[in-house]
Amino acid sequence: MTEAEAGTAEGTEIPRIGVFVCHCGHNIAGTVDVETVAKTAESFPHVEFATHFMFMCADSGQQLIKEKISEHNLNRVVVASCSPRMHEPTFRKVVEEADLNRYLFEQVNLREHVSWCHMREPEAATEKAVDLVRMAVARAALLQSLPVKTVKVEPVTLVVGGGVTGLRAALDVADRGFSVVLVEREGKLGGHVAKLASVYPTGEKGTTLTNQLIKRVKDHSRIKVLTNATVTDLDGYIGNFDISTTSNGKEETHRVGAIIVATGVQPFKPQGYYGYGEHPDILTLAEVEEMRLRGEVLRPSNGEPPRTMAYIGCVGSREPGVKGHEHCSRVCCTAVAKSASELKDIADEIVILYEDLRTYGRGHEAIHREARHKHVIYSKFPPDRKPRTEIVDGKIILHWHDVFSDDKLVLEPDMLILASAMVPPEGIDDVAKVFSLTRSPDGFFNPEHVKLAPLTTHTAGIMIAGGAQAAKGAAEAITDASGAAAKAVGLMARGEVEIESTVSNVIEELCSSCHTCISACPYGAIAMDESKDPPIAHVTEAKCHGCGTCAAACPSSAIVMLHSTDDQIMAMVEAYLCPIEPRGGAT
Amino acid sequence: MTAQAEAESEVAKEWEPRIAAFCCNWCSYAGADLAGTSRIQYPPNARIIRVNCTGRIDAEFILSALDMGADGVLVSGCHPGDCHYTSGNLKLRARWALIELAVEQAGIDSRRIRLQWASASEAQTFADGVTKLIEQVKEVGPIGRSWI
Repeated sequence: MTEAEAGTAEGTEIPRIGVFVCHCGHNIAGTVDVETVAKTAESFPHVEFATHFMFMCADSGQQLIKEKISEHNLNRVVVASCSPRMHEPTFRKVVEEADLNRYLFEQVNLREHVSWCHMREPEAATEKAVDLVRMAVARAALLQSLPVKTVKVEPVTLVVGGGVTGLRAALDVADRGFSVVLVEREGKLGGHVAKLASVYPTGEKGTTLTNQLIKRVKDHSRIKVLTNATVTDLDGYIGNFDISTTSNGKEETHRVGAIIVATGVQPFKPQGYYGYGEHPDILTLAEVEEMRLRGEVLRPSNGEPPRTMAYIGCVGSREPGVKGHEHCSRVCCTAVAKSASELKDIADEIVILYEDLRTYGRGHEAIHREARHKHVIYSKFPPDRKPRTEIVDGKIILHWHDVFSDDKLVLEPDMLILASAMVPPEGIDDVAKVFSLTRSPDGFFNPEHVKLAPLTTHTAGIMIAGGAQAAKGAAEAITDASGAAAKAVGLMARGEVEIESTVSNVIEELCSSCHTCISACPYGAIAMDESKDPPIAHVTEAKCHGCGTCAAACPSSAIVMLHSTDDQIMAMVEAYLCPIEPRGGAT
Repeated sequence: MTAQAEAESEVAKEWEPRIAAFCCNWCSYAGADLAGTSRIQYPPNARIIRVNCTGRIDAEFILSALDMGADGVLVSGCHPGDCHYTSGNLKLRARWALIELAVEQAGIDSRRIRLQWASASEAQTFADGVTKLIEQVKEVGPIGRSWI
């Protein structure tokens, strides 16, 4: 058992395991027989105590764990509840408060992986739950305590994206006394909002808003702005990220403690929708906004002002089963109402074809009402019978079915404006790759938790804000920006942060100097220690992210991936497939 | 017990494959979480073992699991290019060719093992993959020890 020795000297103590099965109200207990699970767990090797409780994560549940640790002198804790991706940090903290090392805790996922996905098979679900608890107990018996490490946090935040979100975030961080490196892909700051002629609800020009922010950002002594810039490489970990940037052909490196990704959205070019690209007078809402910024709204075909105009909503949004287009883009309903209401002053007739209307935000409904007051005509079409356009003799003919009159209608608009979806911008693939962020099917970055932790990601120290997280309006994006900035500032103000100790470790006597691990490591964290004869592999812990690829690749089993050792993994496999007979019956 | 009830209990006793499933923490384990959150119902035969990265999965884990009597082994990770650790899944993919060969040379039908990519948002892909492996394994039948 060389692996057990690799961790700590405490590895020799006899495991005394406590098993705590959570009902999660009705969520688990409604399907899984938690009483049987707890009762059966009592007979598993090294289990000193097992029980079940309504909510393990509640204060009373946490208190119960702490009491039982002390009462039964437990040195390992297994909680069978929800996904460890949700509450592992909670329970690690609980065991720590009871003076147990956080790595002596193991969680079983009885909710997401059992009760919620086998709701109609309570017996099989209970059997699965028992197996999973037995596996976790077997692993727990082999867990080793690991040192809890803290590192210093570099008091600099990297902000990726110079739109309203990035600008606001940069200012919030810098105003609290920390430095910011702001990286913008384009030549100038302002992003999507700077291209809008009228931003709801106030109707101000986009640049009126962005210029205020840009001026303050540019004048700020603590903000360094890089334009025409991208982040080309990221190394390190929370508190100590090393980034490489290229800006106007110039390369730089920076060390930052936190990262805020604010890559925003871009309007979808709806090729193949409603004749877009087939007639110069069929435009997207974003294109009309840019036209208004340059001057009057005129038909591109002949330079005349349009008399009759039509809008179509949900273009490339809310399409079930279409990858990247399933979401509601949130801004279009209100933006269309605002645009139509303003353009009604120059056009005779404006018709808005919509599938559904969602003017949900503060002051948005008033904009919708104003459009109707100005006699903008709203006509609802059924989702399964979308409007159809045809081009006849250079004219746009629009056919649709009106839901309320149950009638087929036809219009010949001078200009057709498509409220196209807000989608992740070009280059998002590269950003995802550099920062190792996962994305939803719509292409936006995944938050750590969609409800409870919407601004943080699964990579500690990297926040997402605004359009990077989902399509949303400027006001909501700016709220995100301040939230993400608060997260970054909180981290930097603490000055130090705990990092995972789950890194790989070389057993020097077993290393055969084959270099396999060096080529396996995605982070260049392993090098040959030439001071030894023969040279042996050495892991730079600060660079190790804990994937364990080296441990699997090593032909000599000389690398131990801490907290995920071969023995710990195989103990689970064995406990599932060839369990040890229970000790003298359940007590 | 009526004849029908007897027949039903026979069906209930029918062999069900035991599946060991190795999932990476960042994509497929999260995908399995989402399957639960979305209440996607799939067969309860698989027991998930969480590893940080599919790159952590040693060929030995899979061979030992089959040796210990797993009827099937599932490995599920991030899509190539989407690995949380940049390229751990590619290392596993390279290893997989060898694993398949080793499994076949041991006289085990390679339909017993399955490698799939399922991201954190692909709950259905994950559930379908589990179902698919179970179907495959049912075609092959319970694992025997004939290769020893």
